[in-house]
Amino acid sequence: MSNPSKTTEVQTFEPRIVAFLCKWCSSAGSDLAGVSRIQYSANATPITIPCSGSVSPMYILSAFNKGADGVLISGCHPGDCHYMEGNYLARRKLYLVKELLQFIGLESERFRMSWVSAAEGVKFAEVVDEFVEDLRVLGPQNRLKAER
Amino acid sequence: MPAPDDWTPRSDAYFASPLAQGTPGKQCGLAATGDYQPSLRSPWLAAAATVDVKKVARELAKDDGVVFSEDYVYMCSDPGQTAVIDAIKDNDLNGMVISCCSPTLHEKTFRDASELGDLNAFQCEIANIREQCAWVHSDMEVATEKALKITRASVRRVQHNQALEPIGVPVTRRALVVGGGIAGIQAALDMTDAGLDVILVEKQATIGGNMLKLSETFPTLDCSQCILSPKMVSVSKNAKITLMTESEVESISGFVGNFKVKIKKKAEFVDPELCKLCDDCTPVCPVAVPNEYDVGLTNRRAIYIPFAQAIPASFTLDEEACLGLDPVVCGKCEEVCDVGAIDYDKKPTVTEEEVGAIIVATGFDLYGMEHMGEFGGGRYPDVLDGLQFERLCSASGATEGHIMRPSDHKVPKEIVFIQCSGSRDPENHCAYCSKICCMYTAKHATLYKHHVPDGQAYIFYIDIRSGGKGYEEFVQRSMENDGVIYLRGRVSRVYEKDGKLKVMGVDTLAGRNVEIDADMVVLAQAMEPSKGTAEIAKILKIGRDKDGFLAEAHPKLKPVESVTAGIYLAGAAQGPKDIPETVSQAGAAASKVIALLSKDQLAHSPTVAKVRDPYCTGCEMCVDACPYDAIALVDGKASVNEILCEGCGSCVGVCVRAAIDVKNVTQLQIHEMISAIMA
Amino acid sequence: MVNVEEIRGYAAGLLEKGEVKSVLGFRRGSASAFAEPCTLIEASDAASLVWDPTCLNNLALYLVKDRKQQAVSKTPDTRPVGIVAKGCDSRAIGVLLQENYFKREDVVVIGVSCEGTGVVDPRKLSAKLKGRTASRVTFDGADGINVSVYGDGTETVIPAREVLADRCLECRAATPTLNDVVFGETVEARGYNEPFHAAKEAEKVSEDERWANWEHHFDRCLRCFACRAVCPMCYCPECVVDSTTFVVTLGTSAEEKANRIRWCERSANTSESAVYHLTRAIHLAGRCIDCGECERVCPVNIPLRLLNTKLEKEAFEMFEYQAGHDIEQASLLSSFRDEDPNSFIR
Repeated sequence: MSNPSKTTEVQTFEPRIVAFLCKWCSSAGSDLAGVSRIQYSANATPITIPCSGSVSPMYILSAFNKGADGVLISGCHPGDCHYMEGNYLARRKLYLVKELLQFIGLESERFRMSWVSAAEGVKFAEVVDEFVEDLRVLGPQNRLKAER
Repeated sequence: MPAPDDWTPRSDAYFASPLAQGTPGKQCGLAATGDYQPSLRSPWLAAAATVDVKKVARELAKDDGVVFSEDYVYMCSDPGQTAVIDAIKDNDLNGMVISCCSPTLHEKTFRDASELGDLNAFQCEIANIREQCAWVHSDMEVATEKALKITRASVRRVQHNQALEPIGVPVTRRALVVGGGIAGIQAALDMTDAGLDVILVEKQATIGGNMLKLSETFPTLDCSQCILSPKMVSVSKNAKITLMTESEVESISGFVGNFKVKIKKKAEFVDPELCKLCDDCTPVCPVAVPNEYDVGLTNRRAIYIPFAQAIPASFTLDEEACLGLDPVVCGKCEEVCDVGAIDYDKKPTVTEEEVGAIIVATGFDLYGMEHMGEFGGGRYPDVLDGLQFERLCSASGATEGHIMRPSDHKVPKEIVFIQCSGSRDPENHCAYCSKICCMYTAKHATLYKHHVPDGQAYIFYIDIRSGGKGYEEFVQRSMENDGVIYLRGRVSRVYEKDGKLKVMGVDTLAGRNVEIDADMVVLAQAMEPSKGTAEIAKILKIGRDKDGFLAEAHPKLKPVESVTAGIYLAGAAQGPKDIPETVSQAGAAASKVIALLSKDQLAHSPTVAKVRDPYCTGCEMCVDACPYDAIALVDGKASVNEILCEGCGSCVGVCVRAAIDVKNVTQLQIHEMISAIMA
Repeated sequence: MVNVEEIRGYAAGLLEKGEVKSVLGFRRGSASAFAEPCTLIEASDAASLVWDPTCLNNLALYLVKDRKQQAVSKTPDTRPVGIVAKGCDSRAIGVLLQENYFKREDVVVIGVSCEGTGVVDPRKLSAKLKGRTASRVTFDGADGINVSVYGDGTETVIPAREVLADRCLECRAATPTLNDVVFGETVEARGYNEPFHAAKEAEKVSEDERWANWEHHFDRCLRCFACRAVCPMCYCPECVVDSTTFVVTLGTSAEEKANRIRWCERSANTSESAVYHLTRAIHLAGRCIDCGECERVCPVNIPLRLLNTKLEKEAFEMFEYQAGHDIEQASLLSSFRDEDPNSFIR
């Protein structure tokens, strides 16, 4: 998946995504995508964190507040957490965050969670590409974006 | 996109871009490197994007706090590192970001370089602009923009990094070995040689594993028991080894250097101290069940000794088969036992042991015969697997070393061996090569000819893989001296007709179908991880590969390490291998443990959780969330045991008061990184 | 029916025997028909206690305040505090105990069952009286509210369903489960709305409508923080959204001063207010016991209770978790089950 060239007639909306990747699985998976030279959209900027369980809901709200069009949290598959349980804690917490964001009417496509193992370079690229495609349809995120 | 043929390798970009920080008096350095420019003319690389590292370095130089920013080719090279060290010293840097490849590769390199430049290792961070950027995006402008964001985020992070020192952790100088086959035995003995105490846990009633069942070993044909039993005796006589048979690891906690392991031992109905091996008990036992040690070719009683040289040397009682555990039904063996060694009321015990390292050597099982219906596996008594044939050849086996058919005890005059039975067949069975079958089939055929000189042995094979000292010569000998007929081709079907096993195969070299009326068929079954491998992997939190074998940490550079620090692998649990390889790996694992436990202290990462005391209310959410029991309330506030803490941040994620942080990945730092990315 | 004399007698007994240093309860308000919180010190004060459908407040808030006072007092009085507690109030005490905010022996819970009714919603009552002011509001049997009106002296009986606060209509535990004594009967089937009714209704409209509603609400927020001030669970020494009112104490290090995080700004913009309210909601997940105080005190009528009950609904339906029901359980977010929802994850 290459980035649309700027020469296309209509300027395509380029969503800005903050991607929180756990160090052990998803960041390693995205490294594998790199080693395998799998091409995907450049819209997601990664922040490597120790574990998906370390994600505070504040990170997500803050990213939206600062203008992120989408927020991705990616961790190890259930049972594979390097820290044994962190991804289970993440799953419960982020389920509630997702429900809350949907409840107030933030477009539900804007917050996404994925399990990507260190061996799933292809999946990581797919997750990002799909997310970007969905966000292109939605357009810019203005609902929680700071007016300042 | 076609590969531009005229691409010439460009010099790899390197940049080091250090910086001065906004806070007066604070200085921060940044350097970046990498080979982002496609420097090879291969089609798949040609699609890779590039990052304009010169631009990244130029732009970063303008940022607040950045005092030095430069690009450089191959910064991980020795001159590159020297340049980094010089940059730190010349600019009096108090922070550094290297924009380069994944931190999994060179984080240590650059942190070591930082230390040499008198900058604390933990004030150096890596921004990954290669695997997560340059290699995955094709548009240089877009990729450069993203690389800038990644680097800026790291700069903002490093501006809040603390100088940290590794935490020294005391080491428990004991090791646990799981599995008492040749791998576990060898590893245990090697470790005791270095003065370590070892706990050897074996699921079965005796140690020895699969090697114990073998008759002779290739390529030397020395007797397997003769070379193994001295080692088994050494184990039993070794005061430094605590042997726990009929035991399994139940749970584990702790970390490298300081594991706590719960081991469950089955009820010890026969006291090995009292049992005098008189064998009065077996004649009275009314139960007969297949003997595992003879791979089902013979039966044993519910009370039994696995075999004469069993270690520990004691009779044992099979809980599932015994009737006497319900005393109304039976109690015969207890009645005849003079020394009162039998007690039906014994209960399983669970003990907790502290160890510094673990070697997992849980071995293999043969791929089930029931999968080989087309070869008559599991259907005809005279279709055997490799281990059963070993038992037939063995002097300690059911036939006392005479090869005869289980069905009618006749000596087989025509015998067919089928290699790759269940191996190298990704559609139906196992995808991998089981590695040892070529050799042991040659050995089987040779042994057969030694026992039955007037018989004929046929071997169906796909390839012959005889890499190993003396292996090829051994195969040649079996062909030339022993007249074994090797047929290159597969067998389509084996069926019984007129008391014979009809083997329908093809000889692809001669280009004809082959039909053999065999008296016996031996299948060289694939090796698979032993039953329970999945469970032990889960308990120990170590990974498995796609075939279910235990996964090594790196296929080339860390072949005996598991992904979890302090846990090592040995033997066929990690992948099919023969005895010499198993012994080598066991020795390697043992020496890893010896090296690990030779230190007085282990260095534990200092990026651990830290409580912001004034904000903590002692609600214990972090205490509940911590997977390592590393947090406890002290005087009503959370307090982190830095030795137990692994820095996962589960506590950070649940604390509603933001009263806990992981050092150098604080919430402030994440906030700054988000800000940098969204700026 | 709860006999208020029994409550008075019990409270007086506690004070007389010196078992508590004070009793938190309700007395007749000076300005209107609505009861107001009071702290009884002397046994003789107990006669002023009232119990009627205007006992709106969650008095657990004052346990928190007492604890905070003790923390800074040079001569803290560590004797227990008695507290008149409705079902919801007792759950609040349950969460505070679960979070070790104080100990069980620090509090004597004088439970009062709301039986078949609950407390009135002042806004609903006011609408019902069409601008007139109530002079007296009492229970009328099982499910009626008897209202006397100022001026004309007329008495009307209004069906409870029409004036009860939303939370009472959805209440699943109108009898205090955590208590030292309970007055009144336990009424199991109350026959009002299903649990989480309001949140379920709010979920039904489309995404854009939901946002339109909430944007309108967040837009009105004054950032007066009354919701936070009245909430017994908002007892943190410093709220994570307080970047500008950073509390500097003697224990605050220079590093902490430098390291405060501006997760959102204090300005009353829609986006900042949204972040504030979402933060508060997620930080109350598994902790909100639905006393509805935040919504009651909001000067601009933001339906704040919806945000909290939405999450309590998810906690109950997906994780079988109820805040304040078991003081020994691990909190909602620091526990998990293998069967937690997973299908939303790619």
